[in-house]
Amino acid sequence: MFDYPIFEMPFIGQRMLMAINAIIHVFVSHGGAVGGSVVLAAMAWWANKKNDMQAYNLTYKVVMVFFIVSTSVGALTGVGMWIHANILSPNAIGGLIRVFFWKWFIEWIVFNFEVVLLLLLFMTWKKNQTSEEGRKKTIRLGVYYAISSWLTMVIITAILAFMLTPNFDGQPWVDPEIYPGNVDYNNALFNPTWWPSLAFRTFTSIAFAAALAIMWTWIIATFSKNEEDKEAKARLIKFLAGIMMITVPISAIFGYWYYTEIPAAALSMIPTAVMTRAFEDRFDLMYLMAIGVGASIIITTIIAYFSPKRMPYLAASLMVAGFLVLWGYEERVREFIRKPFLIYNYMYSNGIRTTDVPYLNKVGILKHAIFLDESKKVVNEDKSNILEVGKSIYQIECRICHTENGINGLKGLTTGWSHDAIRNRLNNLPGGGTPYMPPFVGTEAEKDALAAYIKSLNTKGVIK
Amino acid sequence: MNWKLPFDIPLITPTLGLPLEFFSILGIIVFVVHICFIYMLIGASTASVIYNIMGVFKKDSNYDKFAYRMTNYTTVSENMGALWGVAPLLVISVLFTGFFYTAILKISPHILHIIYGNIIAFLLSYAYKFSWHALQNHKGFHIAIGLSTVLAFFTLPFIFMSMSNLYMQPELFASINNIWEIMFTPVTGFRLLNFFLTAFMATGIVMIFIGARWVKRGDTEIGKISISQGKKWFLLATPLNIVVMPLLPFVFTARISEALMHTGFIYLPFIASLLLIVAFLYVLSKFKDEVVSSQSAFRVVALVLLSIFLMATTREGVRVVSFAEPLALQAQATEDFMNASLTEYKKYKEEMANKPALDLNNPAVLAESKGCFSCHNVDVKLVGPSFKEVSTKNSEVAVLVKSMINGIENKYDVIPMPPQDVSEDEAKKLATWILELKEAK
Repeated sequence: MFDYPIFEMPFIGQRMLMAINAIIHVFVSHGGAVGGSVVLAAMAWWANKKNDMQAYNLTYKVVMVFFIVSTSVGALTGVGMWIHANILSPNAIGGLIRVFFWKWFIEWIVFNFEVVLLLLLFMTWKKNQTSEEGRKKTIRLGVYYAISSWLTMVIITAILAFMLTPNFDGQPWVDPEIYPGNVDYNNALFNPTWWPSLAFRTFTSIAFAAALAIMWTWIIATFSKNEEDKEAKARLIKFLAGIMMITVPISAIFGYWYYTEIPAAALSMIPTAVMTRAFEDRFDLMYLMAIGVGASIIITTIIAYFSPKRMPYLAASLMVAGFLVLWGYEERVREFIRKPFLIYNYMYSNGIRTTDVPYLNKVGILKHAIFLDESKKVVNEDKSNILEVGKSIYQIECRICHTENGINGLKGLTTGWSHDAIRNRLNNLPGGGTPYMPPFVGTEAEKDALAAYIKSLNTKGVIK
Repeated sequence: MNWKLPFDIPLITPTLGLPLEFFSILGIIVFVVHICFIYMLIGASTASVIYNIMGVFKKDSNYDKFAYRMTNYTTVSENMGALWGVAPLLVISVLFTGFFYTAILKISPHILHIIYGNIIAFLLSYAYKFSWHALQNHKGFHIAIGLSTVLAFFTLPFIFMSMSNLYMQPELFASINNIWEIMFTPVTGFRLLNFFLTAFMATGIVMIFIGARWVKRGDTEIGKISISQGKKWFLLATPLNIVVMPLLPFVFTARISEALMHTGFIYLPFIASLLLIVAFLYVLSKFKDEVVSSQSAFRVVALVLLSIFLMATTREGVRVVSFAEPLALQAQATEDFMNASLTEYKKYKEEMANKPALDLNNPAVLAESKGCFSCHNVDVKLVGPSFKEVSTKNSEVAVLVKSMINGIENKYDVIPMPPQDVSEDEAKKLATWILELKEAK
């Protein structure tokens, strides 16, 4: 991180900036594209098989919603993940692209199929719906669209899993002592959490998409001026609830498999990851939340399946909200338990490679801060610029997770701390209470400067 | 020259042994596909608003139908344009990682407009398209949506062009500190002018081409509108573009422009301009024909495509001559850094290997290994109370064990102690040791 220009996101911080984009993307890509493609193809197939044209026409309206959201919000936040990662951690995303370039390139080719098939499916639907043959063509397009959607997830999941568990069977993906690093692409790809996380994501996505489709079918049919839509509503909802009856239990099984593959050190961070620092010991709240989410999904599925006509809108939207909470937390937990690393045992969350630490401790983290003014790199003899130097170090080492005075702000976290306490804390990172923090990297003088800067956040503006 | 360049990523570049020229050609091809869709997007979205307005004023439903058809071109080209924009970025970010990411960081957070601004533009374009028939009697409102769509799409090239110009001129990394400093430069202005002119020119010729096909299909009225309007677009945008294009290689920094003069790339914009002159004269000769055959329209499409291709090759030429020096500097700096770093790392590993194993039966060593000293000291208060203070305030091992395992707050101070990663045995050992500190006093 130290060798790139510094971009600081005030108040909401780097993490939240990324998280906003990531959460939107996960919702839309999983619910809209990956799961959505399967569910929409299934709806068209089922309606055509039952010769239920009312349901078939209602399906088109649901497809339209999914088309609009997937191609705009879904696709662009997908590229957004990458652009955000560029800004936040160029060394990490640069490394990942070096390892996964050709897989990413293949994904891009598959993504072409996905977009073209979705455009074809949507733009030829009306033309094709009049004949049995045309509808079969639409359904075929739907199936191909579903396959290509899923394939794009296969590769991205490999990369996410790699960041958490980069080595296949304990075999390293790179020898850290060699320059330039000789990547073993197969070890990186066939990492232990790839398959379980893929299986988990696949079935949860389908279940989530079915839940979304239930909600949209309800909304569209209820507000439609067309009587046929209202009649088709219950039949479609029952069919969609049937999909959920199958996929929800399968998701749970694969979720457990995924859980068992996560390394012990990462598992121990789950309470903090789920409940945040402030509530990390409140297991009761955690279980309550899990039960709430699970119940909203299961109960609504059962009502929708056995009594689709009477299923209230509140239940459908509660179920979708349950899925949103589930996905939001799944992503937060997956990102959090990887700490203090970005790529496990290779790069710390602030983008510093583990192998560079001894050297940087000797020469200082700011020595190679290429884009920094010389006046902000070394503390003067009269210490007049100690706060500027400290701020530089904060920007390089801390800002990826902390802000000055916003979300996870250092000011709030160190209120009441003495300079010595702060310095000692830096000295002992990761430390007993905060195993998710990477160590301080740099010289003793730099540590002093950072401590002085953090202390100054609470004393700034205070009249002495 | 004051070069400021980040280090390279210290992992081998996955080129599969293919020469860099292969990636250059791959880059040019995917870029040409991308930019053609973007030209079409800019042109089609503009056209769908202009002819919607004309339909209202001329009270001619054929203009309205023509405008509505153009929204299909918007839908396809926005999706395909975004998609094909990813591939060139993927290629440059694996080959020229440091330059691309530095450029992006320098113009942050404004670069995020290409995500969020794009999403807004996409949604507006769908709103415009799908509300066409519903808002047939509310044309003012409908056209307002269309205009906002066009405005939203028109902002995006300003961001992209700024990023691309900074990326291609790494000597500016030391002096440019935000997006405005690169946006308001002659190079960005000139290239944007060329971009918009080419967009209208290319859309013009596509309109002639599809118009010719509609006429052939029997869709005469709308086809004729498309042909005659397409000719106007093409003939208006092309002359200025013919002048602008040969000037483009000279708007970059002196270092790049001079280096480019010693390569063959410098001739390409002139050839591209000549091709456009031919295309211009050809369309002019057909100016009075109401109907044009698809073949003659296709000839002009081919000429324009070829000129776009030549300009994209020139752009790659700029990249090649510009990067030669900084790439070599970066490789040297990265090697020096990595050698120094790995030497130190190996030394550190050796020290660690020779260090005697920790005696965890010694409670002080155990406390150290569990990170207790992050917050506590034996004698003085740090983040938490000193162990001596703890030992004077407590006398029961069980109380301390409970605090360590479950965490504790508001006992000494407002700063809480989170639950610690210690087993019950370890906690007992630590608690006994802490309480013994009192007796030692």
